[in-house]
Amino acid sequence: MSDWRNSTPADDWTIDELMIARLAACFADGDQACNGMASFVPVSAFWLARLTHAPDLVWLAGAVGLEPRPDRVPASTLEAPLWRDSIMYVEQYGDFWTFALNGRWLTKFCVGAAQLDRYGNGNNSVIGADYHTPRVRLPGTAGLGDMGSIGKALYYWNPNHNPRSLVEQVDFISCAGYLGGGAERVEAGLEGGPELVVTNLCVLDFHPYTRHMQVASLHPGVTFEQVQEATGFELPAPAGPIPATAVPTVEQVRLIREVIDPDNMRRREFGG
Amino acid sequence: MSAEKLSTLEAAAALVRDGDTVAIQNMATQAAPMALVRELIRQGRQDLGVVCLVGGIPVDWLAAAGAMTRLTGAAVSMEQFGLCQRYRKAVEAGAIRVEELSETALNARLGAGARNLPFLPTRGLIGTDLIDVNDNLVMLEDPFGGPSVVACKALVPDVALVHAHKADRFGNIGCEPTALWPDLGIMPKAATTVIVTAEEIVDSEVLRANPDRTVLPGFMVDAVVEAPFGAHPTSFYPRYGYDTALHMEWIGAARDDEAMDRFMANYVTGPAGHAAYLEAVGGAERQTALKAWEQA
Repeated sequence: MSDWRNSTPADDWTIDELMIARLAACFADGDQACNGMASFVPVSAFWLARLTHAPDLVWLAGAVGLEPRPDRVPASTLEAPLWRDSIMYVEQYGDFWTFALNGRWLTKFCVGAAQLDRYGNGNNSVIGADYHTPRVRLPGTAGLGDMGSIGKALYYWNPNHNPRSLVEQVDFISCAGYLGGGAERVEAGLEGGPELVVTNLCVLDFHPYTRHMQVASLHPGVTFEQVQEATGFELPAPAGPIPATAVPTVEQVRLIREVIDPDNMRRREFGG
Repeated sequence: MSAEKLSTLEAAAALVRDGDTVAIQNMATQAAPMALVRELIRQGRQDLGVVCLVGGIPVDWLAAAGAMTRLTGAAVSMEQFGLCQRYRKAVEAGAIRVEELSETALNARLGAGARNLPFLPTRGLIGTDLIDVNDNLVMLEDPFGGPSVVACKALVPDVALVHAHKADRFGNIGCEPTALWPDLGIMPKAATTVIVTAEEIVDSEVLRANPDRTVLPGFMVDAVVEAPFGAHPTSFYPRYGYDTALHMEWIGAARDDEAMDRFMANYVTGPAGHAAYLEAVGGAERQTALKAWEQA
């Protein structure tokens, strides 16, 4: 058992490690977590949580491999090397979505979107005004179009915080956030919704009444002005000093670098 | 006695007609019936509608060949190899029309098709714009007084293409221990015609030894074809991993028209058949390397 409880803040952490540690803190014993495609940061976060504060966090790799034992983060988060030595292969349509839709399990999802707007609506469908002849065809909604509508807590991660990925209004809603803000989501009959957005600059959450995105903490060395500059909509001015995001500990950094992801797959998500 | 289903790639692919809606097993870089997809392209099939959960390289090759005009699916991506650029360009040009569904909505459409129902409901998609752009999705009041649901119209593909580990000559399909994607669970059951390629055609006694691993009954299968490495360059566990080199070569070639034409001639339209394709992509040496995925 690693000595993670008494570990002191690292002084050589990198931004990928900070984001992984912050997301890991969102998952606890008793939760079930799953990952999808191109999800090196969430996979590392679930794994880190399991090695430290949440040894009983259940992980369903690729939404198919239950409690896998990969020897490191592989080149794909949706291929068999990730779900090596699983205790069960969950049939994706027959079982995975039954567990997710039931409501008792898989209550938190780590999700990514090409565009995310001020009310936490996500877009992975199209950029441009016309859905049928888009300026850019994005990969598609996959499970996002379900996860936003079935009462889940959504934790967005965005390794490339810029005005193109954080926009005033998404071109197309392929994942339901707080829709037009305020009570709109509730009025549409939807429970749950976006909880946090963890980026390479800061952590954002949503105002409890307006549901507008706001800065919850700044990563060390980042100012509010820098975040505003990198954001495609106006952020609410902070009422007071904004807290700093906790940096990963020496032990967390060691686990990420030596045990979880020695091949640095997580860095592939950055700089896009 | 059961009916013989054994066929050839040429004859099986000829069951697919121009304009058909074809459900293709695929998961980004996994388990696609690539030998059949290449044969459809070689035979010059046109105006196909493709149905897939997450389409990868087969969708990009069909788009590159100008063989498809419609796609129904949840996503198209080659995962770590990036977006399918030829498919993407065709969609942006208006040459491929996309019906984008969430995973539960696609499952509901196929499930209704399989069970001869007009529709099945889902709770997914509520609040998204995907409902507004799709005539096959309609908000429906719960007749029992609960919250509204989305009615997803039945989808019956003309053909389903599946790649499997084992088949007997009567079309019974067996799989080895691996993650099972929805393609096998629902697509073939919804489709009118089912074509299966298998890594090997085995004696029925082999399937009888593990009947719990028989995943499709022969009575619903129209043709089976032996095609070793039939999912290449996608992965087919536990037998082989995905071919990184060929995926990389494709994403490089897909960047310009000439390189793309060369790639298609070298690997897709040029080789006379499946055996010639396997030689063109590196033969026994490449296959040995891909079989060693657990050591990779």
